[in-house]
Amino acid sequence: MSEALKKPFAGLRVADFAWVGVGPLVSKYLADHGAEVIRIESSTYPETLRRVGPFVNGIPGIDNSGYYANFNSSKYGVTVNLKHPRGPEIARRLVAKCDIVTESYTPGIMARYGLDYETLSKGREDLLMISMPLYGQTGPWGPYMGYGHVLQAASGINHLTGWPEDPPIGTGIAYTDFLVPHFAAIGLIAALDYRRRTGKGQYIDFSQFEAAVHGLGTAILDWTVNGHNQTRMGNHDLEAAPHNCYRAQDGRYVVIACETEKHWEALKAALGRPEWCDLERMRRRWTRHNEQREIDRHLQFWLDDYTYDPLRPPPDEAPEGSDAPPIRRFTTDELVLHFQSFGVACGIVQKPSDLRKDPQLTHRGHYHFLDHPVMGHRSYDGPSFRLSKTPGGPSKPAPCLGEDNERVYREIVGLSEEEFIDLLADGAFE
Amino acid sequence: MLDFSDEKGQLCARLLGELGADVIKIEPPRAGDPSRARGPFFRGEEGMETSLWWWAMNAGKKSITCQLQLAAGRELVHRLAATADIVIETCMPPTAESLGLDYATLSAVNPGIIVVSITNFGQTGPYRSWHATDIVGAAMGGLMSVTGDPDRGPVHILAPQALTQANIQAGVGAMTALYARGVNGGVGQHVDASMQEAVVNALDHASPTWDISGFDMFGPGIRRINNGQIGARYLFQTKDGWVAALQVGHLIGPGANAIIDWLAETGEANGLDAPEWREKLTALVPLSVEDRTKVEETMIAFCRTRLKEDLVREAQARNAGWAPVFSPADIAESKQLAAREYYTRVTHEDLGEAFTYPGAPFKLSATPWMQRGRAPHLGEHNEDVYGELLGLEPAELRRLRMKMVI
Repeated sequence: MSEALKKPFAGLRVADFAWVGVGPLVSKYLADHGAEVIRIESSTYPETLRRVGPFVNGIPGIDNSGYYANFNSSKYGVTVNLKHPRGPEIARRLVAKCDIVTESYTPGIMARYGLDYETLSKGREDLLMISMPLYGQTGPWGPYMGYGHVLQAASGINHLTGWPEDPPIGTGIAYTDFLVPHFAAIGLIAALDYRRRTGKGQYIDFSQFEAAVHGLGTAILDWTVNGHNQTRMGNHDLEAAPHNCYRAQDGRYVVIACETEKHWEALKAALGRPEWCDLERMRRRWTRHNEQREIDRHLQFWLDDYTYDPLRPPPDEAPEGSDAPPIRRFTTDELVLHFQSFGVACGIVQKPSDLRKDPQLTHRGHYHFLDHPVMGHRSYDGPSFRLSKTPGGPSKPAPCLGEDNERVYREIVGLSEEEFIDLLADGAFE
Repeated sequence: MLDFSDEKGQLCARLLGELGADVIKIEPPRAGDPSRARGPFFRGEEGMETSLWWWAMNAGKKSITCQLQLAAGRELVHRLAATADIVIETCMPPTAESLGLDYATLSAVNPGIIVVSITNFGQTGPYRSWHATDIVGAAMGGLMSVTGDPDRGPVHILAPQALTQANIQAGVGAMTALYARGVNGGVGQHVDASMQEAVVNALDHASPTWDISGFDMFGPGIRRINNGQIGARYLFQTKDGWVAALQVGHLIGPGANAIIDWLAETGEANGLDAPEWREKLTALVPLSVEDRTKVEETMIAFCRTRLKEDLVREAQARNAGWAPVFSPADIAESKQLAAREYYTRVTHEDLGEAFTYPGAPFKLSATPWMQRGRAPHLGEHNEDVYGELLGLEPAELRRLRMKMVI
């Protein structure tokens, strides 16, 4: 039966003017689930991610960036020079053949080329368009420029990340670029569903900043309701205790979190009920929260004693003359299995290289491998959810710059061969 | 929509509710949903109806109680499921089956139903029954390894990002399944969402960087990592806080001259306005550590005596994408958000007060986002849902209450 089902977005065509992180990740969802997404780029000012690495073999090249490739699986690619006298008209003719327009330019840029919703939707009641700049279409910050790496600062992530009294380091990545696209996709698919039912399109004014604020847990309400301004606490938590990251003998880090009394009882059992666990002040979450430094010290000692580095295993027997039994019983992986078997919420701080070997991600088939004409056999991230009947995932590698110009402009836009060649020769597709 | 979820699915359900779905939160009788015990609390007072987590993530939903451990409770849920479009559940595999919340059971009741299962690691696989909280998801999904300081190790984001990512990515899955149902003649399906995998999708270019360059990205503290190298500092202390500005506030890169001019105008260029420095800073060739230190020291001194929002305004006027480091209080008082009428007031008539909540995460012109009221009290809508939706008589409701089914 599932063979007969259509991919969710099959038959929808998207003119994707968005670039860098946020927009391409929104259209990746559409492309990975069946839409025909056409990335509209220019060789006169190539997409930022094509210009930064990692490059295969370390050789910079417009079609060689793993950064770009991962966010643009399953898409097609054309180029148009909007500064060419006929560029905007060609882009509009392409939009006329599309159902959805996505873009993430600073407000006003699309209008400069006659590619704003008002212009594009004339006579097109069904056109759906989303604009996704940093701060939205209006307001004093509307024209502000930036990147996910600094939007994480404006949207509270930096303030909430780091050690108390130390700088607000934030994540080491352009974090909001990977937070807000999911919000945008939810809004966009909701609008698509409305369109499917009514035939009516609409315009979505999406502000990355405004979406990111919904990722702050209780921080905003804690301020507006209680007047409490939450701030970074290292690896501690507002109320869970213990809640931290501890170093094992092999240098890897283990996180342990007790959000509930059940978690705490499980941890005590897993540790073998050392005496300190049963002190009166350790009994309840609220008092335990004040004892975190002491708990952290005990847990770190415990890890020092009970874990070992498989590259430097401990002796099987206690050293001669010592009564102490050898207690270094666990590799870091074994320690986590031991704790998990007692019901402790814990895990390893996995590095990107660990993720590639992670048996769970492998089991779920998270990484998709595709052959790119320039980059070769490379991995692509797939969606984090599995649809049982209409599964998604990367269907083709990212497009090379302008790879689909001829097919899209001839077959979809309907340019004659002569017109196409004239425009090409005149630089309209650069 | 029926919402059986813990912290991994409540935001997901709320967002769909704000797009028009009628969301019914189903809670265990008496004890209520465990997340009602998650702080912080209104005025710091722990109680069933005072959790700010509960308020934030369950605003606009209805609440009914139902004991899924009892066959009568499961029967009620299945009658509700027959009327529902989407079910969200977060049971650790394989417990959904024993509660009658698995896709096989629910789809037998309602073939068009979409069941969204959001779990720590997914429905199957070696870690399917592993216990996790937010920090465990952030660790196992790699976010903590790219966040932190080379000397102090990995660090956690206080606002729970693994949970947020699990919620919103599953929300995309739910919407995709809903759209698929529309184009496939009403066929429902199961959405199997993993918190760990959601975090893995939030790692920027860490994955291709390992795949292609063999370099493991890590937390670079106040700096950035560029192409496998610890790059320039991007955080600077101001008189009143901090600002974030890449490439030492754009002092390094093609736009450097605009920032050098700014420093020179105030007499604080520290020699960087000399022609050879201008050439060096715009040359796109990596600086020596010594040179970079001088550039960073110049910017540190410049920012220290100024206010963060003044700095950002002036930098933006010079085409440099700076941003202030905002605290939750700063965000609540943001002029940008005020100008866009972002915040919404939510009435808590039970407390005789109204509070400010974040507003629309997307402004849809034809089908606008709606805030749909405060989070429900435990079982507040039992009569409404069981009576009106299922048509149970008051005597039947009393009987169910006596048997502790609701």
